Amino acid sequence: MKFKEALLHGLWKDLTPFRLVLGLCPALAVTSSAENGMGMGLAATFVLVFSNMFISMLRKVIPDKVRIGSFIVVIATLVVLVEMVMKAYFFPLSQQLGIFIPLIVVNCIILGRAEAFASRNPVLLSMVDGLSIGIGFTISLTVLGSIREVLGAGSWFGMQVFGESFEPFEFMVKAPGAFICLGIMLGLMNAYSRKRGETFIQT
Amino acid sequence: MREIIRLVVVLALICAVSGGALTVARHTLAPRIEQQSDFYVRGPALERLFEKPAAELLGNKIILPVGDQTYPVFYLADGDEIIGLAIEAPGPGGYAGDIVVMIGIDLREKRMIGLEIIQHSETPGVGSKVEKSSFRKQWMGLPVDQSVELTAQGGQIDAISGATYSSKAVVSGSNQIIELMIRHGDEIMALIETKEK
Repeated sequence: MKFKEALLHGLWKDLTPFRLVLGLCPALAVTSSAENGMGMGLAATFVLVFSNMFISMLRKVIPDKVRIGSFIVVIATLVVLVEMVMKAYFFPLSQQLGIFIPLIVVNCIILGRAEAFASRNPVLLSMVDGLSIGIGFTISLTVLGSIREVLGAGSWFGMQVFGESFEPFEFMVKAPGAFICLGIMLGLMNAYSRKRGETFIQT
Repeated sequence: MREIIRLVVVLALICAVSGGALTVARHTLAPRIEQQSDFYVRGPALERLFEKPAAELLGNKIILPVGDQTYPVFYLADGDEIIGLAIEAPGPGGYAGDIVVMIGIDLREKRMIGLEIIQHSETPGVGSKVEKSSFRKQWMGLPVDQSVELTAQGGQIDAISGATYSSKAVVSGSNQIIELMIRHGDEIMALIETKEK
């Protein structure tokens, strides 16, 4: 039961960019295409799963006073590893994502899961939690990237979806498009939740 | 006291293990990363400089060691004669780390063919403008035996407004290449000769 809860909560209840409104910096910055969004999401998922694993393994060893420092060291190591692997095997993607890959270190989602979940739960459960949050994050970024790419460039994962006559709304792939797209999605999801009578973060 | 010792030991151990893991990873992945950046970055840059297919040029690579630094050098041969060089060097002092630049040199005319940016981490939209051809084309046709300077220092290169640090880094990278040419030109030719044989 606990596993099911851990596996599913990241997909709707704690869907990071929309429900928790966390990790907005990469969500806004790199989603100019579906591929970039997905690449960023997968990189963050990898870091999440393994940072949760290591932190959960070390949770009884790490003294409370230096826990944040220790978490950051673990996370930063994984991020640098991801960066190197990406450069070695997905070079064009790593150039597209650029500075946002190293910035995963300061992504509040990852430190948040380490502090809130991995530091007080067993290893396997923590990994499932990381996976769940990570998949939710990846899906959110891919969807956001897809909408922006389809409307803003007329293509999806680089494939043309409209004919020649389609005039793309170029501003969707620019920065303002990110805010507008995110805002509309957030609004629609909140409206849907309210209709279903769910409780969610709202003041 | 015991508490403090524990804090220090645990944190030090975590850092040591992390450092070790990264060193191993770096060691294993470095050749592959080098190969990828040859293919995706240096290849196209060489193509633009020499107007020849990258596959032909990437093999013509030597590594020039100077002190504890190494500089990749590519060359273009016409029969037995070496007619072009492309030297790569890091330009220190960018806004976010070194800007690695490459300069193509026409050995017959003793002039620069052009400048390419190989790697940078400058702010997108500000410092990243050093990649623009309107900035880079200022290097076209400059003599290779004279250092370059920004116009503010009485030189010939117009800095990008708002990105003085980035512009300076590119200039210092260029000067490093010019100095390599002046001081180690013969060494480069000797290395190429041994490679060609």
